[in-house]
Amino acid sequence: MPTRALDSLAVGEAARVTAVTGDAVIAIRLQEMGFVPGTTVRLVKLAPLGDPLQFELRGYHISLRRAEASQVRIA
Amino acid sequence: MSQPAEKPLRVALAGNPNVGKTSLFNELTSSRHRVGNYAGVTVERREGELAARFDVGRAMTLLDLPGCYSLSATAEDEAVAYRELAGGELDAVVLVVDATNLARNLYFALQVRELGLPVVVALNMSDTAQQLGMPVDAKALRDGLGVPVIATSGRTGAGCDALARAIVDMRRRAAPALVPLREGDDDAREALQAFGGDSARARWLVCTTAAGTAASFGASAAELAAAAPLDAGRCSAAAAQIIAARYAEVDRLLAAAVGSSEQGARAMALSERIDRVLTHRLWGLLAFAVVMATMFTAVFTWAEPLMGAIEDAIGWCSEHLAEALGPGLFTDLLTQGVLAGAGNVLVFVPQIAMLFLFICLLEDSGYLARAAFLMDRMMARLGLHGRAFIPLLSAYACAVPSILGTRAIASFKDRLVTILMIPYMSCSARLPIYSLVIGALFVTDEDGEGAGLRRAGIMLAMYALSTCSALAAGFLYKRTMLRSPTPALVLELPPYRLPRLRNTLLVVYDRTMDFVRNAGTVILGLTIVLWALLSFPREDTGAGAGGKTEISRSYGGRAAQVLEPALEPIGQDWRIGVGIIASFAAREVLVGTLGVVYGLESEEDEPVGLREAIRDDRNPQTGAPRHTPLSGLALMVFFVYACQCMSTLAVVRRETRSWRWPVFMFVSMTAVAYLAALLVFQGGRALGLG
Ligand SMILES: Nc1nc2c(ncn2[C@@H]2O[C@H](COP(=O)(O)OP(=O)(O)OP(=O)(O)O)[C@@H](O)[C@H]2O)c(=O)[nH]1
Repeated sequence: MPTRALDSLAVGEAARVTAVTGDAVIAIRLQEMGFVPGTTVRLVKLAPLGDPLQFELRGYHISLRRAEASQVRIA
Repeated sequence: MSQPAEKPLRVALAGNPNVGKTSLFNELTSSRHRVGNYAGVTVERREGELAARFDVGRAMTLLDLPGCYSLSATAEDEAVAYRELAGGELDAVVLVVDATNLARNLYFALQVRELGLPVVVALNMSDTAQQLGMPVDAKALRDGLGVPVIATSGRTGAGCDALARAIVDMRRRAAPALVPLREGDDDAREALQAFGGDSARARWLVCTTAAGTAASFGASAAELAAAAPLDAGRCSAAAAQIIAARYAEVDRLLAAAVGSSEQGARAMALSERIDRVLTHRLWGLLAFAVVMATMFTAVFTWAEPLMGAIEDAIGWCSEHLAEALGPGLFTDLLTQGVLAGAGNVLVFVPQIAMLFLFICLLEDSGYLARAAFLMDRMMARLGLHGRAFIPLLSAYACAVPSILGTRAIASFKDRLVTILMIPYMSCSARLPIYSLVIGALFVTDEDGEGAGLRRAGIMLAMYALSTCSALAAGFLYKRTMLRSPTPALVLELPPYRLPRLRNTLLVVYDRTMDFVRNAGTVILGLTIVLWALLSFPREDTGAGAGGKTEISRSYGGRAAQVLEPALEPIGQDWRIGVGIIASFAAREVLVGTLGVVYGLESEEDEPVGLREAIRDDRNPQTGAPRHTPLSGLALMVFFVYACQCMSTLAVVRRETRSWRWPVFMFVSMTAVAYLAALLVFQGGRALGLG
């Protein structure tokens, strides 16, 4: 499955980033926050209402909405 | 040796948010600093001199830059930081990095190092890194980065001496150290050619061009022209390669300085456990409710005695001043204009201080980000960021601190939407008005059983109306005048940390003084204007000097009488009109003014006599009561909507830096208020309720 996106992770599951696509401002921002190819990202939990999501990468935690997370391709 | 003739060095502290820049800044300056704003934006700017106890033989001006994750300027504070760092005014930069999270912190460090300024790295939070059993090899990091690295702690002040000395020792400007691009980064190489080859500026231009922010964040016309022919897709690919190359370098440095990539995960382990409760789908929301309730009580109730004390003190001063000076115009100006104006400013201080105390504690502890995480879903429906929640909630207490609290919202348009929503929320100053009207026209004390319940029911209805209206206003503005996409949520959830009271109190003090200085002057001026409106023209009563003016014959009173035809359709008369004009100073003034208009001498907040006077007021021609429950309802609805608060308008001016928005706010809200009151009164009459 080459085209999975970050928002399809199950809680606790981890995967490697392959690319960041879509809206340019957010794509640049996400890459500068460390979502670069090869980085391992883990889904830590969902917010009580199911969105946003909490991820761990590079030893820190970040919250993204599903919309932003879907811009990050993983393998 | 000390050379006093030399110009002080200008040194900026830069780093990711929450790494302890401000803590270090406070240590280095011994908490003495000036706060200002960057031109045109509400990003705070702190500047201070190196404290004398650091005897390094050179004066130094330190600048605390806003925390940022990168310099590609996707947010306002990053643009500010970039302008400062690339502006050529600085002699050196202290790069503050979090020793417990180098994997992300070093990215920004590399980006700043590329600019070619002399850099010292402050390896902050070294104490925590040590405790967690994962110390950083400062020497390895120094060798890898090629710049001095000093272990520090913003908490204990350890390392600050060495840091100050290291800054002075850096005499040469470093050669810009561009992180090498990797093999195969051909898109990047090609794109950089468009900007005259590889340089820090060219890299910045590639990234901002890809993000589409180059123009708004200060690229020159020539640079924009150079960027124009670039293909968007290729440019994005180029930016991606530049960013990835920097992260590759970060990973190389990490391997040398820390050894394990597990470093940050260990720092977050405790926070993750705390989050199991604090962002749990049930306990998390419950805890959030408790935190918000506490904050709300603090602003709403705990500030009350202090506000009372300030009012008493002002009252005492004006009484004694009046006694000392004797009656006269000048005395009135001083007591009812100047002193009352000062009171109108100072009375907000406890609430503002209380709200900022909470916001700062929540922010420094790391909880504020969790609050945004919890509330984001709800706020996103409106099109806003999770950070808009706290200012909106605190607006139930008072709009003034809430508007100041919107500074946490990054996008200016979204801040404006939130600011425009806030005055619709029913603040505590509306309570006395609801209570007077309900007491006079809806529920009398003789009603006995069920009276309390009815009173609460009507009150609740007013709060529901105001909340729904605020949400509707936000929805509308966000989709029309201030249309912008829902801001992305890219929100770090930092590790929980124990805040330091000293740092928190300093910020609270700065924010409060900023209000007193900037909004305060406007409020003072408006109070004097209002006083004049209600005290002139003076009438010579024949008794010689200093006539008194009946409020009804003042300019304000006359205006209300002229406006009576407009007030009638909403069920009010000129007396209420005077009250509405006077209450512009502060809504609660309505009660006192009506007391004066009805000729009651009592100064009490809500004299029982006033309720009766209003209830018994009859039209001399028809004998029908002048005020009915329907007209009372119309009046309350008017006050739900009307922006009857000059302090709010003064603060909006301060925060938006123009009169445009306060004027818009006042006009639009007054129009809505009038129409709503009209609808209630005429609609009610049509239904036969009047
Ligand atoms: N353990 C430890 N805590 C620290 C240290 N330095 C700062 N802190 C704490 O970290 C939190 C953030 O510190 P700040 O000084 O506000 O950080 P900042 O970088 O100025 O943050 P922003 O202004 O949001 O960018 C506070 O709770 C501090 O008490 C340190 O060296 N060790």
